[in-house]
Amino acid sequence: MADEVTATEKPSDNPILWVAKPMVTAARQFARSLVRPSTVVYPFERLEDPKFRTEVGVESGKPIGVGPIWDNYRGVHALNIATCISCNLCAFSCPDLCIEMVTVPGGDPKHPKKCPEIDYGKCSYCGFCSDACPEGCLTMTTRYELSTHKRADMVYSPERLYQVYQQKLPMNPIRVERPANEDQILLEPPLCIGCNACARDCPTQCITMLDVPKPELKPGEKAPKRIWKEPVINDSDCVRCGTCISVCPKECLFWGNRK
Amino acid sequence: MSSATLYSVSYFLVNTLLTALGSVLPYPLSAWITNSDLILGLSVLVFGAILLAASMINTIVLIWWERKLLGRFMDRRGAMHVGYAGLLQNFADGLKLFRKNTFKPKEADTLGFYGGPTAYMVTSMIIFGILPISSGWNSGVLPLSLLLALAVFSFAPLFIFVSAWSSNNKYSLMGGMRSAAQMIAYEVPLLLAVVAVVVVSGSFNLNVIVMEQQNYWFWAPLFLALIVFVAGMLAEMERIPFDLPEAEAELVEGWNTEYGGMLFAFFMLADYLRALVGSILVVLLFLGGWTMPSWVPSAATSFPLAGIFWFMVKTYLVFGLFVWIRASLPRVRTDQLLRVGWNRMIPLSLASVFLAAALVTVKCLPVFGCLPSPGV
Repeated sequence: MADEVTATEKPSDNPILWVAKPMVTAARQFARSLVRPSTVVYPFERLEDPKFRTEVGVESGKPIGVGPIWDNYRGVHALNIATCISCNLCAFSCPDLCIEMVTVPGGDPKHPKKCPEIDYGKCSYCGFCSDACPEGCLTMTTRYELSTHKRADMVYSPERLYQVYQQKLPMNPIRVERPANEDQILLEPPLCIGCNACARDCPTQCITMLDVPKPELKPGEKAPKRIWKEPVINDSDCVRCGTCISVCPKECLFWGNRK
Repeated sequence: MSSATLYSVSYFLVNTLLTALGSVLPYPLSAWITNSDLILGLSVLVFGAILLAASMINTIVLIWWERKLLGRFMDRRGAMHVGYAGLLQNFADGLKLFRKNTFKPKEADTLGFYGGPTAYMVTSMIIFGILPISSGWNSGVLPLSLLLALAVFSFAPLFIFVSAWSSNNKYSLMGGMRSAAQMIAYEVPLLLAVVAVVVVSGSFNLNVIVMEQQNYWFWAPLFLALIVFVAGMLAEMERIPFDLPEAEAELVEGWNTEYGGMLFAFFMLADYLRALVGSILVVLLFLGGWTMPSWVPSAATSFPLAGIFWFMVKTYLVFGLFVWIRASLPRVRTDQLLRVGWNRMIPLSLASVFLAAALVTVKCLPVFGCLPSPGV
């Protein structure tokens, strides 16, 4: 290393070397790339193609001249519609607002099943949605060819995302583990009217409405108009999507910690 | 060397065609069409057409060859997709340029603006009628063919200057002046290096010069002249490291800034035509032309058109040397260019002339052997 530094600082005094040295360097490069230049002839050769990798003798995960980057490439999403619970967390976490929850067949008529529809014209491929997905049904594949002829083709409906899922493309293996959310859904009992909205909309059905005793009424006191039920949340099933909080008409559910 | 010449090929083609036509047509037409003068004249025209097509196709293939070689020097592949290994890419590029509109700057001089590139192109193509590709494959036996080729070759700075000046752009004018200064500075050592070859071979006839190299090629005893000739040729062709009139990476386009479309294609084509001429001249003067040394097995030199085959192989290898130089060396400054031209190249070329004179005096060299008919 030290020799190279001095060599660059003090060029040779011999003018013949000024010509000869670069020519030898160029000839060496020529001989090296006669067998195979570094260029990947892209549409015909792909770095992720295992056949291509064995042909050029490159270990998997170490493409030529690039370094092991493509295995955690974040490309088009894959959506498993069957396991999606319509929790809306992907759309919540999206910084570009490119995810819209659209109705897909399969839900009951009262509570339609909603799955994410992604507009790749807006998507920044940050991967927050797949990190936020509690069921692991929205993942990012390593597919990167997304060019289209029409702008409308950039919007991937849930069905199209499911087709991507069915292609069994290599998945981005790196998923940021969500930090364990210590907060829980807590209830402020006096405000609750027992309307069942939270239990109805909970994607994981972890809320059950249990009877609460009617309070002893003093004479002259009016009983509050409500259904005498209160939600009880099964904390191990809760995915902390916050749907119950957003649907509560009386704002009696809130994030909190009992400890 | 009684094999077919290019002229006899074209004569054969025209003669066969017209005789066949004459046997079909009725009397007065058939007599008129099989007239020997008409056949001779038409065969000269066909000869020119063949020569033109051959030179243009070779030029375009030469561009492909440069792109592929330069790609490998830069660890990439060059043109890949149009045709086999990109062979047709340059034809596609030419077609694109042909379809483009050519327009003239407002105040530009019409005659100079259109005449400059045309004359540049034409003078570059005339040389192909002079250079022998193989024995018999040239337009005729010219006793001073080398001198004529170099004279036509040196028209270029004039036409570059004319077209640069008439584009009515001060940068084009400056580029043209630089280009002319460079070409004139390097013409002198180039011609002096040629003088060394002429002194040894004793003739300005390129056929004779090639025949004089039957015992040994001139590149080894006249190595100094070869170096001066190659350097001068690089400057004449405006290739790296002497491409400062048209420094692609820095200037807009040098002296052809105002040209677009087919006129620009004329300049590009003429540049590569001149590169082809330069390679051919190196092969003719220093590498034995179409002949091969005697140790080469006769099977490799006796098949039909072997002379042309080996000539083309040598030409393309010499052009590969130019590409190698282009891939290796950085561009020089104007003052360095002119200083090297006048202060280094001219003494070197004079020294090579003296070496050539010494070679003629000695007549025989220990390793190489003797000259067939040494000297003037």
